[in-house]
Amino acid sequence: MKKYFLIAKNTWDEMLTYRVSFFMWRLRTILQLLTIYFLWFSILPQNKSLLGYTQSTMLTYVLGISLIGSIVLSSRSYIVGEEINSGNLLNFLLKPINYFKYWFSKDIGDKSMNIVFSIIELTILFIILKPPFFFQTNLAYISLFFFSVVLSVILYFFFNLLLGFIGFWNPEVWAPRFIFIILLNFFAGAIFPLDILPGKIYLFLKLLPFPYLLYFPLKIYLGKLNFVEIFTGLTISFVWVILIYILVKFIWAKGLKAYTAYGR
Amino acid sequence: MVGNMSIKKYIRLWWLMTSMVSQNAFVSRFGAIIFILGKILRFASFLFFLIILLSRTHALVNYNIWQIIFFYTTFNLVDSFAQFFLREVYRFRTYVISGDFDYILTKPIPTLFRILFGGSDALDIPMLLISIAILVFSIGKIGNITTLGVFLYLSLLINGFIIAFSFHILVISIGILTAEVDNALWLYRDLTAMGRLPIDIYKDPMRFLITFVIPVGIMMTFPAKALFGILSAKLFFLSVIVGLTLLYLSLRLWKFSLKNYTSASS
Amino acid sequence: MHQKDPGMVGSFKSLILRKYETVKAVDDISFNIDEGELIGFIGPNGAGKTTTLKCLSGLLFPTQGDISVLNFTPYSRTPEFLRQIAFVMGQKNQLWWDLPAIDSLLLNKEIYDISNERFNEVLEDLSRTLDVKGLLKVQVKKMSLGQRMKMELIASLIHTPKVLFLDEPTIGLDVLMQRNLREFIKEYNSRYKSTIILTSHYMADVEELCKRVIIINFGKIIFDGDLSNLIEKYAPYKKISVIFKEYVDPKRLDRLGDISNFEYPRLILNVPNKKVSLIASSILKNFQVDDITIENSQIEDIIEKVYTQKKK
Repeated sequence: MKKYFLIAKNTWDEMLTYRVSFFMWRLRTILQLLTIYFLWFSILPQNKSLLGYTQSTMLTYVLGISLIGSIVLSSRSYIVGEEINSGNLLNFLLKPINYFKYWFSKDIGDKSMNIVFSIIELTILFIILKPPFFFQTNLAYISLFFFSVVLSVILYFFFNLLLGFIGFWNPEVWAPRFIFIILLNFFAGAIFPLDILPGKIYLFLKLLPFPYLLYFPLKIYLGKLNFVEIFTGLTISFVWVILIYILVKFIWAKGLKAYTAYGR
Repeated sequence: MVGNMSIKKYIRLWWLMTSMVSQNAFVSRFGAIIFILGKILRFASFLFFLIILLSRTHALVNYNIWQIIFFYTTFNLVDSFAQFFLREVYRFRTYVISGDFDYILTKPIPTLFRILFGGSDALDIPMLLISIAILVFSIGKIGNITTLGVFLYLSLLINGFIIAFSFHILVISIGILTAEVDNALWLYRDLTAMGRLPIDIYKDPMRFLITFVIPVGIMMTFPAKALFGILSAKLFFLSVIVGLTLLYLSLRLWKFSLKNYTSASS
Repeated sequence: MHQKDPGMVGSFKSLILRKYETVKAVDDISFNIDEGELIGFIGPNGAGKTTTLKCLSGLLFPTQGDISVLNFTPYSRTPEFLRQIAFVMGQKNQLWWDLPAIDSLLLNKEIYDISNERFNEVLEDLSRTLDVKGLLKVQVKKMSLGQRMKMELIASLIHTPKVLFLDEPTIGLDVLMQRNLREFIKEYNSRYKSTIILTSHYMADVEELCKRVIIINFGKIIFDGDLSNLIEKYAPYKKISVIFKEYVDPKRLDRLGDISNFEYPRLILNVPNKKVSLIASSILKNFQVDDITIENSQIEDIIEKVYTQKKK
C-alpha cells in the first residue's frame, strides 16, 4: 500500500532534518556500546572463560546486541501516548487509515535509518578495535535468527502501543515507559548475556517476553541453542506476541470509548 | 545580573523554588512513585549484575566486590546529587523555545542561579539517601579506612560536583545559542555513566580521554581511590585544578553566550 | 416524479451518553440536512454541539437513535465513509512539522485515494484561492501561523469531502484571519457544493456564513431555522444609542421605552422596529443630543434571550 510506504519515507526524511540530533543519538549509542564492550574486555582477558563465554563470544555478543538493538528498539511508536494526550488522535480516527499500520510504518522508517548507521558504525569500530567476532555460516541458524528478529520487532511494537494507551486514562505516559526501558535493559540482555544468571532466575526469565527481544535472537545467531531450544523459544515468543496483541486490541477499543466522549 | 544577594537569600530562594517544584512533582502521585521506583530499579539492577559478576570472578581489575560496590554507589551519589540540584537544566530547552527564558532574564534573580537550581526535584532524594546508606555500609566492609582518606574522598566528591556543575553550565551555554540542550545533556549522562565502574577497565587512549579530557574519571573514580589510599597526591591536586579550571571556563562561556543572546534580536 | 437529491439525512432520536454520571449530553435531537447546506450549530459551552458533531462524524456512538450521513452509519467508520468527510477541529495539526507541506498533502492523496489529475486540480484551486502556492515546498515549521492554518485547511479539503465538519474553526485566530477564513468557507461551499456543518461561539461566524442555524442548549434543540426568522421571532428590536449634551433626569427617560443601559451621557434603548422613527424623533425633539445611532440587535443578545427564555 503506497500510503504506508510514504509514511515510512516521510519518517526517514523527517530524521534527516534532525541531523544534529540524530548524530548525537548515534554518538550516545556508540558510547554505551563502548562502555559495555570495555567492561567485558577487562573481565574476560584472552583464554579465560566465564560461564561458557570466552572473550570472543562475549564481545560478539555485545556488538551483536547493539546491532539487534538498532533493529528492534528503534521506534517512533512510543509517541502514541503523547498523541493521545494532546488529542491529536482524533484526527486519525476520521481518516481512512489504519492507526496501527500507520505507526508501524513510522517505526520501519525509523529503523531503516538506525540500521544503516548502526552498520556503518560497527564497521568502523571493527576496523579500529579489531574485536574477535564470530560469523555464523549455518543457513538454518541465520534464517531462524531473522524469523526471531521479526517476532521481536512486532512484540516491541505492541509493547510501545500498550504503554502509549495508558494515555487514555492517565496523562502520565512517560513514567511507565521509564520503568519499561529499565526493565528492558536488564531483562532483554542489553548489558550481559542472560545465561550468566543463576539457574532458577534464568528459567523464570525465559517465560517473560523480554529475553525474546534481544537476547534470544542473538543466541540463535551465535549457534548456542539446539533446535529444541530454538523451537521452544520461538513458541514462547510467538505466544507473547499473540497475548500482547489481544491485550492491545482490547485496550484500544476500551480506550477509544472513553476518549471520544471527552469534550476536546 | 544582580550579583549582590546574600548567601542566606540564595538559600531561601532555592528552598522556595524547590518546594514548589517538588509539590508539582507529587501532584501526580502515580507518576511520582513510578519515577522513584524506576530510579531505584535502575540502580538495583546494575548492582545486581555487578554482584552476580563478581561472585564468579571475585575481582575486577584488582578491586574486590565491596570496593566495586563503593565505586558504583559513589557514581550514583554524584549522579543523583547533580540531578537533584540541577534538575532545572532538563527544562531549559522548553524555556528557550517558548520564550520564557527572556522572561527569566528580566527577573531580579541571577539568571544562572535560576536556570540551574530553580527546579530541584524531591523525586531524586530517595536515591540520594539510599546511596549514602550503602556507602556508609560498604566502608565498614572494606576496612583500612583512614580519616585522611575520608577527608580526601569528601573533597573530591565536592570537586566532582563542581565538575558536574560546570558541565551543566556548558550545556546551557550551548543551549542558549542552539536550543540543542537535551542531546548534549544526555550525552553528558552517557559519558558519566562510563564512570559506573572504575575507569581502570578502559584501555588507553580511551582511559586517558575519559579521565582527563572529559574528566569523568576525576569525578567518579578518583574520590574512591583517594579513600582507599591509592591516589597519588599529584593526581589529587591535578583533580582539583581540573575542577576549578573547568568551572572558570564554563562560567566564561556562559557570560559569552548570554552576551551573544541578549545582543542579537530574537 | 421529482427525484430527491442524494441528500444527507441526519436524525437522532433520544440520545443518552454515559459519562461519569448519567448526563444526557444530547437529549432528543432530530434534524435533517440536505446536500450543500451550510449550517451553524450554536449554543453555550456544554450545550451538546461538539457531541452532536462527533456523533455525525462517527467518533461517538449514540446510545439511542439513528444517524445516517451520506447513507452511511457514521460510527462504523468505513473507509468509504471517511473518504467523503472531513472534520476540522480547533488547532489540531495533521501536517508533518519538519517536512515541506507538499509531502503531507501527497500523503493525504494516497490516504484518500485521489487520482493525480484530481489532486493537481484541487491543489491548484485551493492554493491559488488561499494564496499559498509558493509555500508548498516550504517546511511547515518555517511558516507563520496564518500560512500554517491555510495549509492545514488544504490538507483537510484536498479530497473534496462531501460533508465538512468544522468545530470552532475561528477560535484563536486574529480578526483578519477570522475574516479570511469565513470568506474561504463561504466560497468553498458555493464552489464545491459540499455540506458544511460548523459550530461556533462567534456570532460573526454565524451571521456571515449560515443561512440556517440550529440552537442547542442543555442537549436539546431550541431553534432550527433561518437566521432571519430567528431575528424576527425573538428580537424584532433595534437599539437606539444616544449621547446627551447636557444632564437629563432619568425619570424622563422611563417614558421612552425599554432602557438597556443608562450611564450619563450615554443611553441605550431597545425599541420595537415599528416605533423606531417615532421614538428617535421624540428624543431629538425633547432633548439636547450630541449623537444618536440606530443599530440592529446583536445576535448575541438575541441568542442570549433564546437561551434564557427556554430555560424557564
